[in-house]
Amino acid sequence: MSDFYQTGIITTLHKLGTPSLERLEAEIREFSKKRPVALVLPALYSEFEGPAMQGIVRKLAKVNYLKEIVLVLDKASEKDFHRVREFMSPIATEVKIVHNDGKRITEIYETLARNGLDVGQRGKGRSAWLAYGYVLARGQSDVIALHDCDIVNYSRELLARLCYPVANPNLNYVFCKGFYSRVTNKMYGRVTRLLVTPLIRSMQQLIGQHGFLMFLDSFRYPLSGEFCMVTDLARVNRIPWDWGLEVGSLAEVYRNFSPRRVCQVDIAETYEHKHQPLSADDAGKGLMKMTIDICKSIFRTLASEGVVFSEGLFKSLSVSYLRTAEDAIMKYEADAAINGLEFDRHSEAQAVEAFTRAISQASQVFMENPMGTPLIPNWNRVTSAIPGILEMLKKAADEDNK
Amino acid sequence: MTDFLNLILEPLQEVFAKFRTFMPNLLAMLVILSMGILAARVLRAVLVRFLMAIKFDSWSDRMGVTTLLRKGDLWAKPSLALGAIFFWSLIILVLMTGLSALKVHAIDQLVEQFFLYLPRVFSAVLILIIGYVFAGFVSRAVLIAAVNSGYHYAKLLAEALRLLLTILILAMVLEQLQVAPGIVLAAFSIVFGGIVIALAISFGVAGIDAAKRMIERETAEKHAKDTKDDIEHL
Repeated sequence: MSDFYQTGIITTLHKLGTPSLERLEAEIREFSKKRPVALVLPALYSEFEGPAMQGIVRKLAKVNYLKEIVLVLDKASEKDFHRVREFMSPIATEVKIVHNDGKRITEIYETLARNGLDVGQRGKGRSAWLAYGYVLARGQSDVIALHDCDIVNYSRELLARLCYPVANPNLNYVFCKGFYSRVTNKMYGRVTRLLVTPLIRSMQQLIGQHGFLMFLDSFRYPLSGEFCMVTDLARVNRIPWDWGLEVGSLAEVYRNFSPRRVCQVDIAETYEHKHQPLSADDAGKGLMKMTIDICKSIFRTLASEGVVFSEGLFKSLSVSYLRTAEDAIMKYEADAAINGLEFDRHSEAQAVEAFTRAISQASQVFMENPMGTPLIPNWNRVTSAIPGILEMLKKAADEDNK
Repeated sequence: MTDFLNLILEPLQEVFAKFRTFMPNLLAMLVILSMGILAARVLRAVLVRFLMAIKFDSWSDRMGVTTLLRKGDLWAKPSLALGAIFFWSLIILVLMTGLSALKVHAIDQLVEQFFLYLPRVFSAVLILIIGYVFAGFVSRAVLIAAVNSGYHYAKLLAEALRLLLTILILAMVLEQLQVAPGIVLAAFSIVFGGIVIALAISFGVAGIDAAKRMIERETAEKHAKDTKDDIEHL
């Protein structure tokens, strides 16, 4: 059971009481007549071999308000692609699978590359971006919802609550982010708990109140991968292709829309998906890579907002962050104690130490190259460079799905 | 017995003599074909490299040529596609030249007909290209004008116009290629004429009230103007 406190400068939609799923879905079905909803699923083929996807497909088969489902399938052979088509067949909603490694989509990427449009490396960011392009090309939906494909405890309620704020024309939100707690017998979500929030608060201490920092701090789970937005946003937003995807996307939302039109919604009591290893000694993988990308994304966004960074500031930031994160560990220890959760204080402290090193590395990279931004150009720019690209993308995906 | 043997040997000698005469021609054809195929391959490679150097693919992407290829489910690079078209055109030419080296009357006639048909193919291709660009331009112009006028079905109108122009262009191309010209002309006249008559009737019937209102409004305005003048004089 959640409280009803409004956090920061965006709207927080709590889960109060036991709202009826049938009512929610019936209302969205009505809204979707005027604002059709597309669901985007960025997935790896390996996720179809795990337990999560079966549950997701079972639940999606019962959802009747979606106009279309666009699944971007990555790291899959031609045979895998056909298996996934078969796998998705119980869903009554029109499902389109964009085969990222297919011959036609590969040619789309080559077309973009030869016209000087860098869409980065494969990953969730690039897959989501491609799916947005396909939704825009089809022109059938006004709202796009996106969630990961590794959610073990997926429910129809999660999707309905995610879609509702943007699908409802009376609420008039353009972007909605999902939040939840990641708790089983212990607390997860280390990067959010021990890096993002302490980092934002330390930066607020050092550079004062800043709109973007206030905006980021307003989100209860800024790194959650579940969100819903109007289709226009998919046209104007640039998307990072690295681990800075979530923070970078929020930066683009902040840049293009007023916080009054942004909300976050409680979508699940708890959320269970795969956990990344810390990889404290290797900055090129695991949570360390994620941490460095997130920090770079925050630094670059702030720099673009006019914040001046110096070596002195970064040194103070490391110290300030360490203190704030250590304080956070104490708070979470108390939280775990009252709820009877396991809490390994030592490993939490090790994570904080690793994150401190990651902040230093990110600041070094930023100082060396403050311009190097891993953002995929927005679809407005892409269509301006290659006017027929959306038609090509639609043709490619449609032919693959025949 | 000698006569009988002659009866058998003479045709064989005749066939052998003919074959001996034909052999150099056959060899010439094989040489032309093998040299031609080699030359076509080299020229294709040179052309593709040249097209890549002048960034033909990017130009095609911007100009909509790539989109056109993709619509036809062709997913090769435009430069490679053009290279392939060029290669196969050369192969056809080489084949025709090779066949003419056989010096067989029937084949000579076929080759002659082929070369006489070539100008028609070229003009048909030209009509197709110019027509495609023109249809795209007109459709785009109508779309922009209709959107700016606040017309609700702007896209539908533009697409309908593009479709009509495409039918017109295809009819012109088939007529130029002399592919069943009578049927093409009749079919085109019936389809195009039918559409125009349908549009004229629907516009005429639906527009009676609008035309009446326009005429009445104009008459009323003229009347009001005349009256206004009278008052001013007074």
